[in-house]
Amino acid sequence: MTPEVQTLTALALVALAAIWLVLSLLAKRRRPGCGGNCGCATDELKAKLRR
Amino acid sequence: MALPSHLQTGTPNPPAAERRTPVYALVGNPNCGKSTLFNALTGLKQKVGNYPGVTVEKKTGTAWSQHGQPLTVIDLPGTYSLAARSPDEAVTRDVLLGRRADTAQPDRILCIVDATNLERNLYLVHQVLDLGRPVIVVLNMMDLAVAAGLRIRAARMEQTLGVPVIPCEAVNGKGLIELTLAMSRPDLPLSRHAWDVPAAIAPAVAELQASLHENDRRAPLIARAEALLLLTDQDSVRVAGSTPLSARTTEILQSWRDRWTATNTDWAGTLVNSRYEAITRLCAGLVEDDGTAVGPSVSDRIDAVVTHRRWGWLVLVVVMAALFLSIFTLAQYPMDWIAAGTDALANGVKHHMAEGDLRNLITDGAIAGVGSVVTFLPQILILFFFIGLLENTGYMARAAFIMDRLMSRVGLNGKSFIPLLSSHACAIPGIMATRTIEDPKDRLVTILVAPFMSCSARLPVYLLMIAALVPNGAVPLATKVGLMLLMYSLGAGGAFFFAWLFKRTLLKGEPPMMIMELPPYRLPGLKDVALHMVQRAGIFLKRAGTVILGISIVLWFLTAYPKGPAGATPAQQIAQSYAGMAGHALEPVIRPLGFDWQIGIGLISSFAAREVFVSSMGVVFNAQTSDEDTTPLRDALRQARWPDGRALFTPLVCLTLMIFYVFALQCMSTIAVVRRETNSWRWPLFQLIYQTGTAWGVCFVVYQTGRALGF
Repeated sequence: MTPEVQTLTALALVALAAIWLVLSLLAKRRRPGCGGNCGCATDELKAKLRR
Repeated sequence: MALPSHLQTGTPNPPAAERRTPVYALVGNPNCGKSTLFNALTGLKQKVGNYPGVTVEKKTGTAWSQHGQPLTVIDLPGTYSLAARSPDEAVTRDVLLGRRADTAQPDRILCIVDATNLERNLYLVHQVLDLGRPVIVVLNMMDLAVAAGLRIRAARMEQTLGVPVIPCEAVNGKGLIELTLAMSRPDLPLSRHAWDVPAAIAPAVAELQASLHENDRRAPLIARAEALLLLTDQDSVRVAGSTPLSARTTEILQSWRDRWTATNTDWAGTLVNSRYEAITRLCAGLVEDDGTAVGPSVSDRIDAVVTHRRWGWLVLVVVMAALFLSIFTLAQYPMDWIAAGTDALANGVKHHMAEGDLRNLITDGAIAGVGSVVTFLPQILILFFFIGLLENTGYMARAAFIMDRLMSRVGLNGKSFIPLLSSHACAIPGIMATRTIEDPKDRLVTILVAPFMSCSARLPVYLLMIAALVPNGAVPLATKVGLMLLMYSLGAGGAFFFAWLFKRTLLKGEPPMMIMELPPYRLPGLKDVALHMVQRAGIFLKRAGTVILGISIVLWFLTAYPKGPAGATPAQQIAQSYAGMAGHALEPVIRPLGFDWQIGIGLISSFAAREVFVSSMGVVFNAQTSDEDTTPLRDALRQARWPDGRALFTPLVCLTLMIFYVFALQCMSTIAVVRRETNSWRWPLFQLIYQTGTAWGVCFVVYQTGRALGF
């Protein structure tokens, strides 16, 4: 892989990582705060309970 | 299990309930084994612990009937009564009463009873029976009841209560088949009222019941139960997500309260006493004590030492020291293996790829960043293994009891100890655990100080600094353990100091009394401990593979661009990069603490999460090493220099950095959770400012004093 291709690929990966970080920061979190560690209901179960 | 005939002729459920998946709610007193039963029924791996207050939010899962039909099960926070006194108890009350907008009212209720404490547990059972729903009473911990010499007549209890009563040992899986059979029945009888409301209160109950039915759309039986609760708990605890009462019902309630206040009638006391009298009558003949359990139990004998005024503290210090000793000794080999693995991976990439940006991104960004954090996985696992053991045996409740003496002096009670203790794993569940605290001011104070407790994300930072501070073998292990104890003590000290300060200034209030049940000691469930440990490992690795990987990649770019002039050394390249510019901009603020711009890069990036400091140091310092070799991070830190040639990471700087991380609120997730729990941005912003200010101030004093003393 030439240095130029390496640079382009690396910059594309950086852009992807940056976009992903920003989107995950701005997106409304499905399980805000608990990190999924408190065992809160999944969306599927919540929908089932609402029926 | 074949149920008695009188139970098989009950009124069937409403047809609507049969058409969809039945929803079971699990309710019971704190620490009666609800979560253990929930896990056994649903096959889920919810956290369980041998102390009250483990579950503070409802949790749901699916169990299966004997015919393979799904049954939805909701595990609710433990409560002694439906008259809620704290937010977690309010969740239980509101779900059962159908007040939650996000949760349909449960069709059926599993009422879990601690068989060793029947009379106390029956108060809640009695209230649940008022709801007029199909109820199954589960007599859990039957093995402990038998060991305590108690014989419970389950069949007679079934006849007296009019609902199925299933003896069970959830932790051993005994009684689960009988319970599943009972849960599979389509014709579970509706519960019935087991007592008569006192005549003086009955008109108020009837009027409130009618209003709740007409204005708040409650079913008649639920309306009656809710009317009784409104008259006893004054409905003071409300939680987000619950529907408020109608204006008409509130008006009727207030008018009755005003009337009784004018005539000096203790309406709440009358209701509670009347219910207790009914329970006493109910209990007669249900329990026999064979008198075999005489004298203090094993738990009592252990408690004589563990909760002793002086010995208790000694035990606590020994337990903590053993924990840190294990972290340093047991984890060493796996840590070395992981470090060797990541180094080999980085060197392999270097040898198989041509020089270029992509290669540098992979080795200096992704592998150096993620690898430096993943190296600490064994120590994180050991930390959670010990925490799991202590929770499962019941020692945590004793630690809370010991700490209560100290905490009462700073204006907190022992109930704050469980949230503070949980914060040693992560501040987020710790802050959520404050829902068990009744007093809103006490709860807020606990939320404000919980992030001071050293969480597992700080562990990699402490360990890296200790490794850089004291080379292996040069300083006794006791010094490393002592340093870790110091950091954990500093965090606890900071929490207590600010709790004391807040209770005397911003959030004044009387120190409340703590009433906490000390559960009997149990052999730890190694399966539960191991599962918890594996779950935490999964969370840690997921974080390393997502957020930390992403930040490491972006940070690599910020250290590699803009490109310096041809012939610039790696150190010169980073100094003139975007990250270098940010670090240099921060340097005037942190230089009085002994930190340079490179440490500044770590401080900025670790605002996302504390452990990112380690990965950032990995990226910043690994990029400065030679191309053909990967230097262990601790060695790279030891070789780092100021421009004048002085060592950057002196023992004093390492100590100051550790202290900075003890006090600073470097965690975006914590800020988000505080915002959610306080329903305001005011408190998390205040917390961010005061914690960062404290961190800077303490570090300034420590560093400048250390310098003045010649360190």
